Amino acid sequence: MTDVVWTAGLTILQTVGLLAVAPLLKTVIKKMKARLQNRQGPPFLQGYSDLTKLLRKESVRSETASWVYVAGPRVYFAAAIAATTLVPVLIAAAPLEAAGGILLLVGTLALGRFALATAALDTGSPFGGMGASRDMTIAALAEPALMLGLFTSALAAGSMNLGVLVRGLLQQGPSLHPSDFLALAGLFVILIAETGRIPVDNPATHLELTMIHEAMVLEYAGPDLALVEWASALKELLYMTLLVDLFLPAGMATHVTAGAIVVAALAWAGKVLLLAVAVTVAESTNAKLRLFRVPELVSISLGLAFLALAIRFL
Amino acid sequence: MNIALVVRLVTILAAAATARRATTCRWAALGGSMFASAVTLTVAVQVIASGHAIDGVLLRHAASGIVLGYSVTPLSAWFLMVLELIAIPVAFYSTGYFAHAVSASRTAVVGTALNVLLGALEIVFAADALIVFLFAWELMTLSTAVLVATDHQERASRRAAYLYLVMSHVGTGCLVAGFLILSAATGSQSFAILLSGHAVSGPARHALFALFFLGFGVKAGVIPLHVWLPEAHPAAPSSISALMSAVLVTAGIYGLVRVCAFGLGVPDVRWGLTFMFVGTVSAILGVLYALTQIDIKRLLAYSTIENVGIIMLGLGAGMVALAHGQGALAAMAVAASLMHVLNHAVFKGLLFLGAGGVVMATGTRQIEQMGGLLRLMPWTGLCFLAGAMAISGLPLLNGFASEWVTFQALLLGFASTRGLVRLVFPLGGAMLALTTALAAACFVRAFGISFLALPRSPEAAGARESHAAMLGPQAALAALCVVLGLFPGAVLRTLWDVTKSLPGLQPPVEPSWGAMGMAARGSGMDAFDHVVPVFMAVPMLGGLALAVWAAQRATAARRAPTWACGGELTARTEYTATAFSKPLMLIFRGVYRPTRNVETLADVSPYFPQEVRFRSQIEPTFERYIYRPLGRGVLRAADGMKVLQAGSLHAYLSYVLIVGVLILIWLGGGM
Repeated sequence: MTDVVWTAGLTILQTVGLLAVAPLLKTVIKKMKARLQNRQGPPFLQGYSDLTKLLRKESVRSETASWVYVAGPRVYFAAAIAATTLVPVLIAAAPLEAAGGILLLVGTLALGRFALATAALDTGSPFGGMGASRDMTIAALAEPALMLGLFTSALAAGSMNLGVLVRGLLQQGPSLHPSDFLALAGLFVILIAETGRIPVDNPATHLELTMIHEAMVLEYAGPDLALVEWASALKELLYMTLLVDLFLPAGMATHVTAGAIVVAALAWAGKVLLLAVAVTVAESTNAKLRLFRVPELVSISLGLAFLALAIRFL
Repeated sequence: MNIALVVRLVTILAAAATARRATTCRWAALGGSMFASAVTLTVAVQVIASGHAIDGVLLRHAASGIVLGYSVTPLSAWFLMVLELIAIPVAFYSTGYFAHAVSASRTAVVGTALNVLLGALEIVFAADALIVFLFAWELMTLSTAVLVATDHQERASRRAAYLYLVMSHVGTGCLVAGFLILSAATGSQSFAILLSGHAVSGPARHALFALFFLGFGVKAGVIPLHVWLPEAHPAAPSSISALMSAVLVTAGIYGLVRVCAFGLGVPDVRWGLTFMFVGTVSAILGVLYALTQIDIKRLLAYSTIENVGIIMLGLGAGMVALAHGQGALAAMAVAASLMHVLNHAVFKGLLFLGAGGVVMATGTRQIEQMGGLLRLMPWTGLCFLAGAMAISGLPLLNGFASEWVTFQALLLGFASTRGLVRLVFPLGGAMLALTTALAAACFVRAFGISFLALPRSPEAAGARESHAAMLGPQAALAALCVVLGLFPGAVLRTLWDVTKSLPGLQPPVEPSWGAMGMAARGSGMDAFDHVVPVFMAVPMLGGLALAVWAAQRATAARRAPTWACGGELTARTEYTATAFSKPLMLIFRGVYRPTRNVETLADVSPYFPQEVRFRSQIEPTFERYIYRPLGRGVLRAADGMKVLQAGSLHAYLSYVLIVGVLILIWLGGGM
């Protein structure tokens, strides 16, 4: 019984915590990008203001849309939340690691993407179809590289369950094996592709020829849009946390004491911030790639992941 | 088992006897079919539950002492169960479907052929005597050809049936040759002896493997032996297509498991690698071709090739593990592929039944002519969506479960084998990931273009929901997708009992997870991975509730027309299926080798075109580069042989003489 209470408590705390931090991450990246361009950038709380504004607005939906259109953002949101419960953040244990590991995580995120892409086809607007088509294309190309990168880390740690994996890595200590760097580089490319960042997608554009994710959700307004934005932010935070877990879990709390948790929180925030800086630099120093150049980028990532696997185990 | 076959036989006779009255005939054929299937299902469940084979005699000829027996082993029972789980809904669906989709004069033929096919499949799975097996195998081929040619006034149907017959008979030829060699080596008729694995050794074993691989591979539809499949499956009436895609291909897989994997002794590593390679190629090419189809039934047929590829990948991994003497790992891989046999049958059956309803309602198979059907056919749409999500391998549904086990088998295979060979496992895993993600894209497109947004043709706008008799089976199969997805542990545990009966496999003695979860353990790895989908349903529902609560203002949403850039939103401004798959078509142009052709017709100036015609085509690589030269070669050889057939009696008599002398010399030399 205490197990159930403990699991439920940790699940809710972690989910709420990540949901609360996620909008901040987006704004921080925007702010850093602006500073690099000698602009002031939005205030740090802008993400929250945007969400509350959207959540309070009236929702407008297309006349042609069916229930699939309504379900899309909700399932996307739910899938992002469910995915966070599989990932350890501060404590070296995922709240719901009893449910499954990496494969379930990737599957759950795919469920959210499927729901949103299907919903995008529902309004009859060509933008939705264009966005859905491009999003599914990039996801399909990124999937093998993502899996191979994750396999490398999982096989090194001897488990596909993220909780067990992180505990194993903490016990082993930092390996600093060259394969780690290759796999990290490969997965970083996938992080960029999956979260719709430059050079794969541009989150700031609304130009029809270049939009991918934005085209898919173009028809959404008000609370529906808020759900999509919030879930996307959560997903980005989730991917970064996943990278941190796999390659630099040091600092995570192995015992639940107040001191350890505070240290873990600071360490986690620092590491995620580091990744955010890397994303910002990547966004600021690259131009967006043409859609048909994206496969080349993703195949580099696939190559890196395979190389990592090969030098690690042969 | 005998009872089931007697019921089947009576049904066939009844259907043939009532040919004059379409309605009576329909009820006789389909009712009898459901009854026979139910009886067989109980036998299969009994065998799986007890773990002991049920043997019996089909025919005993007292004078010659020939006994033709059957033996429902746990493996046979698994395939029989899958067959009947689909055959019952298909027959139920057909009660509503045949009334509208099959003309009265053909009802008797279709009903009879359907029962012959089902009976033949039952015997194929249960046969223990070689002659019975081959007879049933041929019966299965011929009855399917009849069903494919139901609309024989159409040229495409005739061509599909012809292609199917040719390919199948090439395959059957390989099987007959293989079985004759085995039979000659053992001097027996019984499968138990033929397939004990001690019949042949040395290089002959490889030759036999090749023969059986070709023979069964044709039926399973693996690339490059698949060319008949996308022609034949769509040509039949939709409920028959469901049966063909869901279970007819499993006859080929049954053969591959029974003979290639476990019937020729411990498999060679190279056999396993062949399986994995062919499986991966089938999976990826199958889904890539499916992605570009605009005919919904062809799309589903190509996706069948993809899923057969996934099944082969798991089976191949199991064979490699067996060759390395890793019984526990092999059990997991074989269980993965057998699990996918069940799951694929369920969701593919569901999707084909849904497609049948849609095709009947709109009168077209082109998804570009559909659209907006979710409002007009809400229940069909919901069931199709469930099938589409299941086939895309999304969690909480059954497709995810079997792909999960396949991934585990591949990863544990990497962890527990040595040498360069192990690299094929993670590569196979990466390709499986690509396949799954492409399948998701394919089914977002298939569902989205045909069921969402505005109707793309007047026929689609006038579509009506299917009859309840057609919706019931779809709902049942959709529910099965969810149940099998939420309780995969129950399926896996059943499969441990099935794999126990196969030589060399060592399934775990004490599966620690209950019906809800599945676990994977490797040597030296206690907790490699596990999954409990039900647990995932909790945060999913919680997240859904939170989303609904957070966006509660959206419940009173205002409705407004979709903004169409200032223009009018019509079906013509919608994104099409062709456009949806265009990026992938261009990225994988090395595979598709697309040709496009744009023609502009203008009166006055080229800047004011009257009409623009666009044609785009992908190259049928296998047909063009393998089958066409092959066909030409065969024809040329036949042409050359014409010299022999001179039409002169003297020439024929001299042939007889020459052959007679040669036989005498051969026999004399042997003495």
